[in-house]
Amino acid sequence: MSLALSLNGVFQHVAGRLALQGLSLDLAAGDWLLVCGPNGAGKTLLSRLVLGLDRPSAGRVRVLGRDLAQLDGRGLERLRREVGAVIQRGSLLADHSVLANILLPLRHEPMTRGEMARAARLVMTLLGLDGMENHPPQALSLGQQRRVELARALIRRPRLLVWDGLSDGLDPTVAREILAVLDSLRDGQPMALLATDNTPDALGGIPARVAVMNRGRLLYEGPPETLAAASAQDLELRTALGARF
Amino acid sequence: MDLRLLNFRGPRGWIEALGLAALALASCLAYYGRVLAGRARFDLPAFAAALQQSGLSILPAITLVMIAIGLILGHQVEGILTQFDLPVVVILTVAFVIIIEVLPVLVGILVAGRAGVALAVRQATLLATGEMDGLLVCGIEPLPFTLAPVLLAMLLMSFAFLVWGTLVTFAVAGAWLWASSGVAPALFLEMLTSALTPGALVEALVKPLLFAVLIALIATLNGIGAGRRPGGIAGAATGTMIGAVTAILVTDLLYIVLARV
Repeated sequence: MSLALSLNGVFQHVAGRLALQGLSLDLAAGDWLLVCGPNGAGKTLLSRLVLGLDRPSAGRVRVLGRDLAQLDGRGLERLRREVGAVIQRGSLLADHSVLANILLPLRHEPMTRGEMARAARLVMTLLGLDGMENHPPQALSLGQQRRVELARALIRRPRLLVWDGLSDGLDPTVAREILAVLDSLRDGQPMALLATDNTPDALGGIPARVAVMNRGRLLYEGPPETLAAASAQDLELRTALGARF
Repeated sequence: MDLRLLNFRGPRGWIEALGLAALALASCLAYYGRVLAGRARFDLPAFAAALQQSGLSILPAITLVMIAIGLILGHQVEGILTQFDLPVVVILTVAFVIIIEVLPVLVGILVAGRAGVALAVRQATLLATGEMDGLLVCGIEPLPFTLAPVLLAMLLMSFAFLVWGTLVTFAVAGAWLWASSGVAPALFLEMLTSALTPGALVEALVKPLLFAVLIALIATLNGIGAGRRPGGIAGAATGTMIGAVTAILVTDLLYIVLARV
């Protein structure tokens, strides 16, 4: 089984606090994993480590078979061309139009302008962004900005998509709709997904595994169907998931 | 260049700053090389924006400053000529100093104040808003992305400003001297051309280019060193201005000392 992602005994200190405590998890190529937990659980930190934006204090992070600790700047740059990312803070360039933002990952690809325009049109239509090509990102709603980020992440058909804050700026129905669209694309080209959110609600009936984190520790990992039963027996897991479980 | 190494906190100390500046310049040159080899796309819109910012937007200010310098030069030369009737020596000396020292430094300071500060503020803003992370996750190296078009624009415009500034300054000074002291334009032009030996001309043209590189690197050090803290952007702007002006004057001094050795 080839792994899209593998974390092994990852620790991370942030401002003198242990924000990730021995985190280990695997994600097979083409599989989906939704990491849930309350604010401060370490979800964003996990995403940043996987994307190579931060380095772990200890432990090993392998993405698409490559050990991030062994990669130099160019190696990371090349790896990131195979990984799509929607990150939590507003990451769209404010002085670029929506279309220019979506085309950023294709900047160094040997493609003609026509091919790039076609690829952009495809993802924009897929995510309901038609007609917004020339808008500045700040003229869009938060939800639309998230879709532009997602379009940018998908334009290069990544093998791994990291989506931090699945329902940030999106209502759960829209998030589910977008996930359903992504799910429908899985047959064509397998894409692993590592998503984070406060609850597993956005998943709906989409086949994916769920992991629950709290205070930098992994409390649960498995199918969403057994999560309720597991949380019934585990107070910390129940607390991490809130009153819903 | 892997900016995780510095975690965007910027350089600490001179050695780290020099190292980072060298890496920034190397990544920029490598990018130009990739563009020339056809392996990377040159960002024309960013280059056009940088040209506008470091060029057209400060052209009126540069022109006004050069007219003022020309008037001051004409007035001062006129005053000296009333005491010493040695137009050849006076004009030659003053023209040399103006072309070799004053104009390159003034061009450098004006470019630093506009394009240098704008570059630092842009990089600091990208960092503070998270847009820098956006570039990284798209597989784009932020330093060449932000620095390369601006550096090229600054080099071109510094060169153009020096030529333009020299023309304006001496046209104004010549007109003043012709009107006030009767120094014929032909004589004035002859004095200027004799002041400008090939070596002096090269020095006058090289200095603004050197200053442009320095300004861009100092702006980058301040921009990516701004961190994510509040006040980082303002700090980057003031740090760039102070650092660039200091570097321009110190480099000019070193240039004089080393060139004369």
